[in-house]
Amino acid sequence: MCSLPSLSFGQSPPIKLEEFTSIAKSQLSAKSYKMLEQVSIQYMENNSKKGKLKSVTALLDDLQQDLSEIRKARAQNRQPRPAQLPGSVLEENPLDREKQMMQWQWEKLDAIESGKTFTFNEVIVYKLKLQLLWRLHSFNAERGAQVLASVVNPAERKED
Amino acid sequence: MASMKIKYTKTERARQKKILKVSERMLPLFEAMEKSLMSTILTISERIDQIRAAIEKNQKAAEPWIAVMGDAWVDVAQFISVNDTITRPVVVAGIRVQQFERVDFMEMPVGEDTPLWVDDAILLMREQLQLMSEIRCLEEQIILLEEELLEVRARVKLFENRRIPNAKTAIRKIGQKLQDDERLTIATAKVVKTGAKRR
Repeated sequence: MCSLPSLSFGQSPPIKLEEFTSIAKSQLSAKSYKMLEQVSIQYMENNSKKGKLKSVTALLDDLQQDLSEIRKARAQNRQPRPAQLPGSVLEENPLDREKQMMQWQWEKLDAIESGKTFTFNEVIVYKLKLQLLWRLHSFNAERGAQVLASVVNPAERKED
Repeated sequence: MASMKIKYTKTERARQKKILKVSERMLPLFEAMEKSLMSTILTISERIDQIRAAIEKNQKAAEPWIAVMGDAWVDVAQFISVNDTITRPVVVAGIRVQQFERVDFMEMPVGEDTPLWVDDAILLMREQLQLMSEIRCLEEQIILLEEELLEVRARVKLFENRRIPNAKTAIRKIGQKLQDDERLTIATAKVVKTGAKRR
């Protein structure tokens, strides 16, 4: 862990995910590496709901439940009542809301790893935080405009 | 005019008078049709401008959060696309055109693990796709109306520059020729009469 650059929310990702994976592969046992491969901040497989990955799965479940509640509230035209996410999230525009949710996930990950220095948990959290940073890094206005244009005007995209 | 062959007969004069009468009656109709087509095209162009402004407004409103659409986790294009544009035939300025009704979308349901911004993006894309489809329909209407306008203008020119002047000239020339012939006949008859008296 000491050889890896430190991560802070909002910074440019200091290391590629592939680099991290290759370092982890060389340093971890086959069993631990397999477990690390299963972990993703985007989704978790059902068999990851126990052991060391339990807290991460719980974090993702909480987020998913809140997203479901927000979507239900929108469909029913009522005020959403998320259980975990801060209420301020609902007032932001989609970009800021996503960033706030990611910050919330980051803080939860901080809580998961606190007091667990030099443990496998710390490696897992490092991977998830790195994924968050790469996702945050992909939020790009120019790219976003291209994506929108490609959907709204596919003919122009083909001409380009 | 130079190449125009005229039959100097009373029947031909009657025919040319009929052509002139019909042409003078048709010309105002074609002129009115030209005006109507031009005004309709202008109205449709204004509507296109309004829709473009609405698209621009939506785009501006989305600018503060458009960056999130670059999200490496999501390919938002898979969630929505246009299946078909529903139109209905209507008659505009005497021309049958297709009027925009609505867009039939192909939408993939949003999963529970899909980021929340995708919902907003789908709403925005829905609106923009609908407006773009309406523009396409209106542009097709303009193409049809402009084709008709060209034909009507050609007819107006034909009546103004060819048919009416040609008929008028023909009527005048036939009239002169018939008068000349009449005079010649009378003169000949008098000469014949005088000759007969002398004999």
